[in-house]
Formats: sequence, structure tokens, C-alpha cells
Amino acid sequence: MKAKRKKIRLQDISLPTDEPLITIRADDLMPLPPPLAREEKKDPYPSLSEEQKKRYESSLDGVSALSLPKPRNKEEEEKLVERFLRGLEKLLSPNDNWLFWQPLIQSLESCVRCQTCSDACPVYLSSGNQEIYRPTYRSEILRRIINKYIKKRGKILSKLTGDDIELNWPTVARLAELAYRCSLCRRCAQRCPLGSDNGLIGRELRKLFSQEMGIAPKELHESGTVQQLRVGASTGISPEAFQGMVEFMEDEIEEKWGRRIKIPVDKEGSDILLIHNSGEFMSWIENPVAFAIVFEAAGLSWTLSSEIYGYEATNYGTWYDDVQLARISLKQVEVARKLKVKKMVMAECGHAHKGLIVIADRILLDEMNFPRESFLPLLEELVCGGKLELDPQKNNFPVTLHDPCNFVRLMGIVEPQRRILRKICPQFREMEPHGVENYCCGGGSGFAIMSSMNFKEWRENISSRMKLKQILEAFNDVLDPGIKKYVCAPCSNCKGAIRDILASNGLWERHSIYYGGLVELVANAMVAMKKPFIDWEWH
Amino acid sequence: MGGLILFIFYGSILFFILTTALRVKKCIDAPVHLHWELYKGSSIYESTEWWTKKEITFGEKLWSMVLDLLFLREFYHRNRRFWYPLYLFHTGLYLLILWHAWLFIRAVVADIETASIFGWVWGTFSTLLTFIGGMAILIMRMRDEELKVHYPPVHYVKWVFLLLTLIGGVYAVDLHFKSSIPSLLKYVREQVTFADFEHKLRPAPAPALHVLFASVWLIYLPFSHVYQLFFRYYHYLRWDDVPNRKGGEIEKRVREHLERPVTWSAPHIQSGKQWREVASEMQQPPILDSNR
Repeated sequence: MKAKRKKIRLQDISLPTDEPLITIRADDLMPLPPPLAREEKKDPYPSLSEEQKKRYESSLDGVSALSLPKPRNKEEEEKLVERFLRGLEKLLSPNDNWLFWQPLIQSLESCVRCQTCSDACPVYLSSGNQEIYRPTYRSEILRRIINKYIKKRGKILSKLTGDDIELNWPTVARLAELAYRCSLCRRCAQRCPLGSDNGLIGRELRKLFSQEMGIAPKELHESGTVQQLRVGASTGISPEAFQGMVEFMEDEIEEKWGRRIKIPVDKEGSDILLIHNSGEFMSWIENPVAFAIVFEAAGLSWTLSSEIYGYEATNYGTWYDDVQLARISLKQVEVARKLKVKKMVMAECGHAHKGLIVIADRILLDEMNFPRESFLPLLEELVCGGKLELDPQKNNFPVTLHDPCNFVRLMGIVEPQRRILRKICPQFREMEPHGVENYCCGGGSGFAIMSSMNFKEWRENISSRMKLKQILEAFNDVLDPGIKKYVCAPCSNCKGAIRDILASNGLWERHSIYYGGLVELVANAMVAMKKPFIDWEWH
Repeated sequence: MGGLILFIFYGSILFFILTTALRVKKCIDAPVHLHWELYKGSSIYESTEWWTKKEITFGEKLWSMVLDLLFLREFYHRNRRFWYPLYLFHTGLYLLILWHAWLFIRAVVADIETASIFGWVWGTFSTLLTFIGGMAILIMRMRDEELKVHYPPVHYVKWVFLLLTLIGGVYAVDLHFKSSIPSLLKYVREQVTFADFEHKLRPAPAPALHVLFASVWLIYLPFSHVYQLFFRYYHYLRWDDVPNRKGGEIEKRVREHLERPVTWSAPHIQSGKQWREVASEMQQPPILDSNR
């Protein structure tokens, strides 16, 4: 029997205690369908060690995404609170925060507290409706801090317009962590009848912490954008290492396709500069290999770049920092300009699509306003326009499609991927819901690459839980391990998150549920392939 | 007392106009923000070379806004249970606003004595719809666990006051003016034409109270969520798919911002330099934050 849960109030955010506001137990979690329905239940994430608890802030939910060190004394706490307030003032200033001021103000002012958004949030639902994960929880706290400390409303008005929130260090520390319990999928914003974007409020909070206080997850900042700006890629791949990978790709192509080709690299004046998430070269090299096969088979004029910044599509700034977002976008476009290509095509990386094609659009001026597009419409033209000889029977196994939020809800690319799959996969079946109503993979906004302390377990068992449920439901009639199944996830981060939930639940070993990108399915369906492109080997 | 009511009434109208103008100005003056968009379905990005395609027109956006405002379509699709009372309330309210506009126009442009009972039916029906919807919303807000979450106490006061305003209106029309539209129109004409000032200074309590209530609403309206709904559709807000074109208006406006200094203080930002310089900066300083 479930224990009665303590009611969490908005004011609890400022409780001056190291004890987490909530501790999530196995019984709290959203139930999963078969075959995981009857599995032994375990708590979603382990407690931090005593040493970790002593050193790092984890008083939100016992999880640490940021490895945020505890202040040494009261004076340091006060200083940090003061810096938070200065950052908040900047966030609300049209001069300091011109890049997002208008939608932020709209989102702060328009919420009618109808809670329509709550049922849209996969984290809130998966956690068993934990109050602190409700999309409006962090927004409402921020709103009330603004009313009290920035607008300086009097005591009576503060009381009338809502409960008083005390701005102390525990409030700031918990808000910092809370900004990283939302994957910015913006499903809540899509649901909001008034257009209030709780996802944006979460991102703006992240930005405040990064741009004013220097607080951001190490994986996104130090090993992410800073590393990318220093060495060219967030994975740390150097131009020399990249060249080596290209040679390896050529070997792979020869083995699978039976043809030795020279992958075009730094070919000036090509029509297309194709940019991959560099994580593909490290973890899923078959994806760039499949692109190369398909583009060569279709006779496209294309190239990769081995220039620093030219072989990395990611831009983690999209998730937490406007300055880093702008810096990386400019570097990427500069590479394309130098190569004198006609356009940049983003490969299977969702946030790179949204970041460079949509968000950065208004900071790319003059010659930097360079043509940029998604690979999806191009691939659709190749597959559905008869440019490739394809045999759908080669893909005659159950396939379902995960919609990366950045393609669908955040960019409006909904149909090309479906038309491709209907053409080449006879057993294609949709997840429910899908398209612009899809659920996040749980790895969005950097979660897929964040693994501080117990955060990975939190992600796998809470933020990815809804996706796991959807995958199992999509394959519920073919769970027999004798039938190989494919989750198509055309985004690097989504792929990483899905890999982790399939692995941690043993779904490949026990039920033959595999995962991969979209272009691999196209290559697999090509008549001219010497060997099956998909090798069904777990990695 | 009558003078005070007059002052509040005309003052509230002036306040309403000025505040609305200020809000519109704030919206127009807002800096162009980055393209942070949500999509209800397929967009131009489904095409190769999308930059050559035509984006959605202003007329289409306007039509979408009108349908949303009239039918509260978003609530209908997303929160049907709450939509029922909201729809009753808003339909009643729109009809009531139109009815007041009709009263003001009818009182001035045509013979008052010939006014038919239609005006009374319209006003009463609208008031009834608004009252039922408003009461249902208040009850739901008090009883439904989800709708109670984070709902500030002042909004309960607002709903009670709204219901009192409606009751005050019914009292004034049906008891004071005895449901007579010609009597009501005569009163409205006095207000609109500034005739019979002496009468205005010694108003009857029922219409005076209703006018006072209405004044409070006029003062509140520019801060209400209905206004927010309108601003959501402003050219550079949600559902806006306007790409930045070379030499276009967006580029011009963004260019101004790039000359501004970056004021954020974290070590990697390099505060004080212009946006243009900071964004094109090659060097990344150490990550160490000395204050932590």
C-alpha cells in the first residue's frame, strides 16, 4: 500500500534544511506495461553517499545534476543569493536579455493556473505526479520571487497575490537543480491555452545561473560548449582524429556496399555541407556511414568538413546559455562560408536543427545568414522521389518512430520521416501519441549526456519512463524475442537516452528491441547493398 | 459623493485608454527576440530550401486569433472540463460588452422611446450566461484540487466581485429602471452627452453603484489575462514563423542590439564588450569561478 505523501507547498522551496523535499519510491512511479509490469520494483535512483551529501547541494529531491558545492559560510550564501537577484534583474531587463525578453515576460504574465500543462509533462506524470516536477511549480516560485524582490510589492499585496517565498540560499540551490528537472521538451507550452511557456522559463533560469553565476552542468559547459569552442567538438575529436574516422568509414562502406569510395571532405563549392553530431562518429559511426552511402548512391554534390567546428553539429548553448549559443553558431556558419558550399544540411541531431536553423536565425546577419536546412526533406526527396533503388522487404521487421521534440513540436518537421518509413518499412507502426504531441525521450536539453552522481539513474527511471512505456506499447504484440524490432530515433541525444533505457531494462537481450537512426533503415533497404546494413549487434 | 463617482467613472475610462496605450507601446517597443517557436503541425522546414517558401500571412494569424478568442479553442482541445464554464462565461461576457456598446450607440443615434424589448432580452441573456459561467468557474476553482493549485487568493476576490457586479447590473436595470430599455437609454444618453450635469451629481444609488463597479473593472482590464491572450498574437510572439531575411526588418532590429554591451557577469561571458564582439570571441577563458 502506498504511503501517504507529504504535501509540498511553494514555500517549501526555501526550507533551511539539507533534507530533500521529496524522496521518490518505487511505488510512486507511473506503472509500466508488459513485459515490465511485473518486474520487481526498485527505487528510481540511489541516495547520494554521505560524503557527497556533505559536499554538494541535493536538497531538492536527493539528486545532483549540477554537483553544486555547498557554500562555506553564511557570508558566501548571502553573496550567492545577491548574485542570483542581480541575474534575475538582468533576465527581466529588455536591454540585458533582449534575446528572450518578450516570450519570457509573456510566459510570466499569462499563466491562469489552470494546470492544463501538468498532464502534458512526462517527468511529472512518470514520477507519479510529484509536485516539484509540475511544470508550473518552478515558474510560480520565480513569479513570486519577482513580485516580492524585484517588483517589491508590499506585504498585503504579496499575501493577496500568493504565498510569500523567502529568497535564501536553499531557494537558489533548489531552483538551480530544478531548472535541470525539465527537459525543455515544451510539451507543456504546446498545451497551454494562454501560450505560457514553462519550458522557456526553465531555460531562462538555466541561463541566469550560467551567464550570471557561472553555474551549469559540467557536461554542458566545461566539457561541452567550452571544449567545443577550444578544440572544435564537444566530444573532443580533433581534425586529425576526424580524418582517421573518415578512413574507417570508407572501409566500412566497402564492406557493406561492396564499393570503395572516397568520402568527400573539405570539397570546396559542393552543393551540401553535411554536419553530424560528432557523437555519431564516436558511438554510432554507422549513421555517418549510411549518410555517405545514400548521398553517393543518389549522386549528390556534398562534402564533410575536417575544419575545426566543421564536423560538429551540436550546440549545447541552445539549452542553457545565449552567449555560447551565439558563439558556436557563428563558428559553424563560418566553416560553411569558407567552403563556399550552397547550403548546410544538419544530419540526425535534433537540437542542432533547432539551434542553428531556427533559434540562431535572428543572430546570423548579412553574409552569416547562410542557407541551412534539415536532412529530412532532402532524404524524403531521395527515397520517395525514386533517386534510390530500394527494397522495403529488407526492412520487414517491426519499426516504430520516436519523434525528437526538436523536429516536430519545435520545428514543424512532422511528415517527411513518416513518408520515408511508410515507403521502406512494411511493418512501421506509430507510437502513441506522436508527431507534435510526442513525448520527449527523457534525454532532451542535455540530460542524455549528463551523468553527475545519481542523475543518470534519475533520467533512466523518471524522465525517460514515458518513452519506455510508449516503446513497449508500440511493440506489445511482437514482444517475442524471436522477432527483431527497431526503434527509429533520428537524433543523437534521443538515441543515447533510448539506448540507456533499453539496456538498463534488458530489452535487447530479452525481447530483441534494438534502436538506431533513420538513414540506416534507408541504407538497409538499398538493393545494391552487398551485406545487410543493419547488423543487429548491440552497442 | 456623486462628484466622486463621476471622477472615478471618467477617470477609469481615461486610465483604461492610457494603460492600454502604454501596454501596446511596451509590446511594440519590445526588442525582437530570437526565433523560439512552437508548431501545431507541418511547417516550411519540411521543404528543401525552405527560405524560398512563403510564410503564414498576417491575415491567417488574425483569423486564427479571432477563432481562438471567440471559441477558446485551446481550452476546448486541452482541458474540456474547464472549457464548459469558461465558454459560457466568455460568450456571456463578449455579448455583454457588445450590449454595452450597443447601449452607448443606440442612446445617441436613434429615438429612445422606440427601443424594443430586444435590448432587455439581449442584456439579461448575456448577464445570465456570464453569471452561470462565472459562478461555475468560482465553484470549480474552490473545489477542484488541480484548479486550486497556486491560485492566488486575490483571484477568488475577483470572481466574487465580478458576480456582485453582475447582480448590481441586474438590480439597476430591473429594479431601478424597471426593465425599461427607454429609461435605461435615457440614463446612458445623459452619461454620454454630458447632459443634465445636476442629475449626474446626485445619481440614484443603484446605477451609481453599478457604474462604480464597472469603473473598477475598467481599471483592472488592462492587466487581465484577456489582454495577455491578445498580446500572445502580436507579430513577434507565439505561432510566428518569420525567418530573418537579408536586408529585412528583423535584421535591422537585431543589428541595433548587437551594438549593446553584454552585462552578464559570469567569467566566460566577458562582460562589458558589445554583443557583436562577445559572440565572435574565439578565446574561452578558464571556467573557474573565483566567487564559488
